[in-house]
Amino acid sequence: MATRGTAQRPNGSTQGKICQFKLVLLGESAVGKSSLVLRFVKGQFHEYQESTIGAAFLTQTVCLDDTTVKFEIWDTAGQERYHSLAPMYYRGAQAAIVVYDITNQDTFSRAQTWVKELQRQASPSIVIALAGNKADLANKRVVEYDEAQTYADENGLLFMETSAKTAMNVNDIFLAIAKKLPKNEQSGSASTSGQGRRLVESDGQKAATGNCCK
Amino acid sequence: MSEYLKVLAKMAKKWTKIIGEGKSLRSITIKKYVRKGIPGEHRGLVWLAVSGGEDMKNASPDLYQKLLLSPHNVETAEIIKTDLPRTFPDNIFFNNTENQQHQLYNVLLAFAHQNKTVGYCQGLNYIAGLLLLVTKSEETAFWLLKVLIDKILPDYYTCTMDGLLTDIDVLAELVRIKMPDVYQHVTNVGLPWPVITTKWFVCLFAEVLPIETTLRIWDCLFYEGTKIIFRVALTLIKRNKSNLLACQDFTTLAECFKEITKDSIVLRCHEFMQSIFKVPGSLPGNTIAKLRTKHMQQRIKRKQDKLER
Ligand SMILES: Nc1nc2c(ncn2[C@@H]2O[C@H](COP(=O)(O)OP(=O)(O)O)[C@@H](O)[C@H]2O)c(=O)[nH]1
Ligand SMILES: [Mg+2]
Repeated sequence: MATRGTAQRPNGSTQGKICQFKLVLLGESAVGKSSLVLRFVKGQFHEYQESTIGAAFLTQTVCLDDTTVKFEIWDTAGQERYHSLAPMYYRGAQAAIVVYDITNQDTFSRAQTWVKELQRQASPSIVIALAGNKADLANKRVVEYDEAQTYADENGLLFMETSAKTAMNVNDIFLAIAKKLPKNEQSGSASTSGQGRRLVESDGQKAATGNCCK
Repeated sequence: MSEYLKVLAKMAKKWTKIIGEGKSLRSITIKKYVRKGIPGEHRGLVWLAVSGGEDMKNASPDLYQKLLLSPHNVETAEIIKTDLPRTFPDNIFFNNTENQQHQLYNVLLAFAHQNKTVGYCQGLNYIAGLLLLVTKSEETAFWLLKVLIDKILPDYYTCTMDGLLTDIDVLAELVRIKMPDVYQHVTNVGLPWPVITTKWFVCLFAEVLPIETTLRIWDCLFYEGTKIIFRVALTLIKRNKSNLLACQDFTTLAECFKEITKDSIVLRCHEFMQSIFKVPGSLPGNTIAKLRTKHMQQRIKRKQDKLER
């Protein structure tokens, strides 16, 4: 759910809204989900990123005008048999990034299956972004940009090609999602998720004074 | 630490003697010794002997070599290959030399080939990787992996992961029985138990707790079975109870569950291993067996209901 709060700035004046959103990453194994999160949260890239078991959890804050958006990011395991656990992660999520690898056609089909599942099972207002990752490997490309863009348009998805390796479009895709998310008090799906949460005071202060907001 | 080194030295002597005598390794005395830690140099062979892996191996001594030579499922091989460089990428002892990755590939592929219901499941790379680190032998690692999955653990790694999800339900119920306040709190905050504990069970604490602590846990796992996993999990939770109860929202609670595996005590493996037999209180094997049956039945029933709807 998007939680609105007003935090005191160090100088005492009140600052804009703080919204907290749950975002889940889905997609075939080894397409670069964990790498995208690592790039976004820590600005790093590992040639050999550990395989994710179950799911990993991280947070990152971005600023949009006078709104602080705090992402609660759930990075999931890609292998098919972990699929039965996935609803636990996308339940109550306000946003999802479905990732495929532009050098692997199967991962694009798998991404489409994920999108269908989200459209059926996740919160109806969920914002879905499609990320064609490993865009730096252009010479090995098999999924055409236009093909993915057309698919995204038809399904109302945000779409970008990204590279966790070069950082291309990584912040941008999270920012684009942040922009698209409703930031009024009624937004989100706390009632359906059963996971309503409030920003505690100290939490809000941290977000507001974090380096992202100058 | 020096205290621990003394214990190690004393135990190493005892173990050398025991192994020299070549007697059966299943006795009350040995169980006590195992709980105090098997010295690194004997670990692989003791694990094999006490778990029944050796008997399995003796029953089909050339199985591993045959499996290596037989044709392989291309798809499985591909999935395994993507995980090879992603197994302990930061571990200096598993520094991703070609040879180590090749050994890991062989073990995982051979295993997948002879157990079609499991095949390859992500997470097994960490287990097989650690087994290779300990045994330095592909074949011994293979048999230990086989005995773990075929004999010791319930169906954690099959396509539906039913055994895993059941054991997570069992843990949740044990928490409810032993620490009702924690259970209630986690429920109120709305954090599902699989979110917290999937990796604990799937990796048997490899990549969750420090290596030496994990190996000490595995000493008991090979000797005493899966009960030990619940003991470790309950100990981690109970020792950090007040921190967990102080977390008011989903995010901080999820973070806190991650932090408790880095609690300073898990580095002091000797102390930690002593505490797992005290902190959670009594935990009879048949309690776990009953809870497993109950939760497995509920799981099956929920699935049927879902199908009928
Ligand atoms: N060239 C390239 N490699 C990437 C990129 N993103 C991830 N990788 C590599 O792809 C492999 C799998 O990445 P990972 O993040 O673990 O994928 P996940 O299983 O979807 O979480 C790792 O070896 C990464 O280093 C990228 O944008 N470009
Ligand atoms: Mg990952």
